[in-house]
Amino acid sequence: MMTISLLGLLACYSGGIFLPPCLPGRPRAQNFIANGLAIVASLFGLVLGLTGLLASEPLAISIPSTLPFLTFAVRIDPLAAFFVLTISLAGLAVSIYAFGYLTKFYGQTSLGLLGSLYNGFLLSMTLVVIADNGFFFLIVWEVMSLVSYFLVVTEHEKSEVRYAGLFYLIMTHVGTAFIILTFLIFFQQAGSFSFETFRHPESPLPEGLRTLAFLFALIGFGTKAGIVPLHVWLPYAHPAAPSHVSALMSGVMIKTAIYALIRVYFDFLGGQFPWWWGFTILAVGAVSALLGVMYALMEHDLKSLLAFHSVENIGIILLGIGAGMIFQTYGLQEFAALGLLAGLYHTINHAMFKALLFLGAGSLLYATHTRNMEEYGGLLKRMPWTGFFFLVGAVSISALPPTNGFVSEWLVFQSLFLSFHLPVVLLNLILPIAAAMLALTGVLALACFAKAFGLSFLALPRSTHARHAEEVPITMRVGMGGLAVACVFLGLAPMVVLPLLDRITGPLAGVSIEGRVLALDGWAVAPTNVEFSSLSTPALALMLVSLAGLGLLLAWALGGRLRKRYYKTWGCGINLTLRMEYTATGFVQPIKRIFSTLYQPTIKLETEFLEESHYFAKRRRFEFYIEPLFQKYLYDPVVLFFSATADHLRIVQAGSLHLYLAYIFVTLVVLLLVAV
Amino acid sequence: MVQALIIVLAQTIVLLAVSPFIVGLIRKVKARLQCRRGASVLQPYADLAKLFRKEPVVSTTTSWIFVATPYILFASTLAAGLLVPVFVSQVPLSFAGNIIALVYLLALGTFFLILAGLDAGSAFGGMGSSREAIVASLTEPAMIMSIFAIALTAGSTNLSTIVHKTALMEGIVTDPSPHLMALAALFIVTLAETSRVPVDNPATHLELTMIHEAMVLEYSGRYLALVEWAAGIKLLVFLTLIANVFAPWGIATSITPVAISLGLAVYVVKVAGLAVLIGVVESMFAKLRLFRVPELLGVAFVLALLALVFFYILRG
Amino acid sequence: MVDLCSALLLLTCFAIVAQRRLSACVDLFALQSVFLAATAALVAFLTGIHHIYVAAALTVVIKAIVLPRILKKVIERLNVTRELQMNINVPAGLLICCALVILAFFITQPIIPLGFLLTRDSLAIALAIVLIGFFTMIARKKAVTQVVGFLVMENGLFLGATAAAYGMPLIVELGVFFDVLVAGLIVGIYTHRIQDAFDSVDTSKLTVLKE
Repeated sequence: MMTISLLGLLACYSGGIFLPPCLPGRPRAQNFIANGLAIVASLFGLVLGLTGLLASEPLAISIPSTLPFLTFAVRIDPLAAFFVLTISLAGLAVSIYAFGYLTKFYGQTSLGLLGSLYNGFLLSMTLVVIADNGFFFLIVWEVMSLVSYFLVVTEHEKSEVRYAGLFYLIMTHVGTAFIILTFLIFFQQAGSFSFETFRHPESPLPEGLRTLAFLFALIGFGTKAGIVPLHVWLPYAHPAAPSHVSALMSGVMIKTAIYALIRVYFDFLGGQFPWWWGFTILAVGAVSALLGVMYALMEHDLKSLLAFHSVENIGIILLGIGAGMIFQTYGLQEFAALGLLAGLYHTINHAMFKALLFLGAGSLLYATHTRNMEEYGGLLKRMPWTGFFFLVGAVSISALPPTNGFVSEWLVFQSLFLSFHLPVVLLNLILPIAAAMLALTGVLALACFAKAFGLSFLALPRSTHARHAEEVPITMRVGMGGLAVACVFLGLAPMVVLPLLDRITGPLAGVSIEGRVLALDGWAVAPTNVEFSSLSTPALALMLVSLAGLGLLLAWALGGRLRKRYYKTWGCGINLTLRMEYTATGFVQPIKRIFSTLYQPTIKLETEFLEESHYFAKRRRFEFYIEPLFQKYLYDPVVLFFSATADHLRIVQAGSLHLYLAYIFVTLVVLLLVAV
Repeated sequence: MVQALIIVLAQTIVLLAVSPFIVGLIRKVKARLQCRRGASVLQPYADLAKLFRKEPVVSTTTSWIFVATPYILFASTLAAGLLVPVFVSQVPLSFAGNIIALVYLLALGTFFLILAGLDAGSAFGGMGSSREAIVASLTEPAMIMSIFAIALTAGSTNLSTIVHKTALMEGIVTDPSPHLMALAALFIVTLAETSRVPVDNPATHLELTMIHEAMVLEYSGRYLALVEWAAGIKLLVFLTLIANVFAPWGIATSITPVAISLGLAVYVVKVAGLAVLIGVVESMFAKLRLFRVPELLGVAFVLALLALVFFYILRG
Repeated sequence: MVDLCSALLLLTCFAIVAQRRLSACVDLFALQSVFLAATAALVAFLTGIHHIYVAAALTVVIKAIVLPRILKKVIERLNVTRELQMNINVPAGLLICCALVILAFFITQPIIPLGFLLTRDSLAIALAIVLIGFFTMIARKKAVTQVVGFLVMENGLFLGATAAAYGMPLIVELGVFFDVLVAGLIVGIYTHRIQDAFDSVDTSKLTVLKE
């Protein structure tokens, strides 16, 4: 079963890669073939993921190659299967959506190339999580990075897109360098690139090298995941890609880094850590979560806003994993499993709602041709379906009950609350502070999505684009609808999800907690026991529905039949115009002012007065931007240093062919001398 | 099962019935302290009844969010109320969610209320929504911290367990100082979350105080009634939390008619006492500038954190 | 009980950091000194070491009565009631102080088990108070609050001495009290001089002296 679905998946993605370019000049056919095959492949992926999660033995296939150290080995254990499932779920919905979305690109971009890259992207991500050989992993990882780079620069005629692409390319390669270093550390001890030998090296790694491997993996994979301060590329690159690709990049691609971190820490390093590893992950997670949402609040480009939220959610995932690592250090394996469980649950949840929101943003872009939130408004009446699905996504990402984001954040909270079992007072105090930061993050996310939804979909249209917007084609709605259903399902059915996740965390943390995390026949999630804490989203949903019904009943009983009068909003005596509405900039102004230390906002207000009187302004110019701190203080000095060094090295580059030949000659001679 | 249903129903009725009284009582206390006679404490009941009968005016700018919000707000606030032990220490619905779920249920209402404030398109609602968002954000860390401190001393995050244990004097802390600090933090949080002076002013919607009242400015008729009722219930939920988590004594720990009627009576007295306290606090302090509110909430956060620190010190 | 008293001491520290009104800061300092004296008296009672009573009494007289009087008089004469501009704003200051408390706990963690049973936990609090006092001197601009910060530091040291060694020898303590008193007087006069020279007690104006 697993082998068949794996082969089917490979065949369909390969078809999706090679067939579309064979049909030049027929964008419709290319669109159908590329996305149709991607859908079939995702279905295979779903089967593969589910069977992989349920299988008792991992599936391992290995095809040797002629290159030394390289084998095309794949291994599908529960952890890999879970990520295959996540990728395929998102891939399925996004591919359906892409049918409609790509019609916009007819005649502008080569759909053959786009479709082929899209399939390649999905395939490389799937291979990354199932690869079982370090060399093979690095190859598909690099392919994934390159393909996503090409996808980012799809609209390469815009200079900001080219800048975003270049930034991404550089950062991702810096990351890859660290990943290679990580693997080399394992390699020099294991003598082979096979993950199996990484897991069980002949002689265990010395402490110093283990620490190095920990740090390099954190930097290398952290760059891809977008942890602060390595996140700077993410808000440029993710929005620059076509929206359905952004959905995959933000929803799924960054998760491959989470996969790799778990693989390295819990699998290769055997789940044995000093306490400060977990603490580092926890701190990185807390800071990423908080700064991610803080910067997201200031963004008025809808897609950039969503990209910053990816930083935030990666932070939340890392909070769960970090808490798990700390518990693991002190031998509290049940709680370690809980922390990991929370992180993994949030991983799939974030994949669903972030993909949904990016698709929603894509729909808005499709309908209004702009990404600027200040030019939306009143779209809920014009695009009711998109609006509803976006609302579901917004409620989920704001972690409001009874949706999926709430369940996983609740689990993260619980694992942080359990910190009082730890024997170290410092950690007893630090974990609650992380919980407080998570709380702040959660509410700021709520504020941010109240802004994103409220200003995009409610009140009056703020531009002619928004006024003429229409609902998007049916396939796009189906894609978003599927993800919305997934969000609600994952929220209401933790009793289905948690036992599956337990199959992953069981081997990693060394203890299965399925029986201890669910209570009341699975209707309630109760880490440790019901006395300590419990949560039942189905019950909450039922309560909400019945109490809303009670509200209706009361209104009817006390007020009789409803007679509404419609009238325009009171605008202090004059007609309400769109210029009187609250803007996105205005909405976040108090937050900007309170956290001005972080934002370092610069506001310029220039006023031109009439010549006759100083009391009447002719024109006002308002300009405002916030200082990107990390770029200014961390990246710019590095870039400056390198360009200065490069300037000095330019002397070597005289442009003379003879000189270059002389360099080669001298090198050759020196090498020969050394060889002797 | 039947018993559980009856308790849930009774709790719903108590929350619905007592909340307008609390609102009326606070107004009365404030009026008396300002040397006015003030309206009867039963006035909010009459207000609600009248609002329900009035014809609502709905702005043509708005979408379905505006009409749905009062019901969502009402349902989420009441659902939060059902998780808190009111007159029986172990509520049947406690399995549905612990104290974190309560916080997030209230946040659900806040989220939709912020959206509704933006929906009508006027600057009043927008400003109210924007400020509500910031006050809510700053309140949350303090709230989670104080909850954590309480949960630590009781060894549980489940409200029923906390209240039941404390009521039976089981696992009660040998030293009350962390508890008291968490209480102080939660009291400040209550003032901020329920739009009270010194954070907001529930009596007006003038420019200086435009937070909650500005956000709901466009509501009328039964929608306004539901929103006001929900605000009253939210206030009551917080008072119940303070009363029953920190001083649960008198609450019914077993389900007998005597214990329950005693529990009800004691409950009403306790929340009424807290309402008087809030009225006094509101009369004593001036409203803070919006940008001074972070200082107050910062104090709440620090208190809660210190509660935690002291918990660990005193435990040794 | 000793722990509770030292907890109250720490709490007054935070109150001083959160307070903008100068006279209230001084009052809080007086209150803190009372708590300190209570702690010392308690320790004296529990251990039966009598000279700590003397130190406690001196604390009440000098730190809770005399020094606040002097500072109040300075404030009155200078006519500065509030501190509006700070180097670090109040919420940030409070959070930094929280971090300092945790730091203090972290540092004293290995030492605590070595101390005497009765007061060993107070050592962490004493260190935290010293750090917060120091921080107050950095964060505030007005000379008066800087003095309060200095005195808070001194309180922390006194608590630390009581906690770690059941107080210093009496002669040393007397010396310290005398020092503090003299320092208070000198600073009072010095504040006047700054006021005369710069029309303000804002010590950040002192930077112009370097020209």
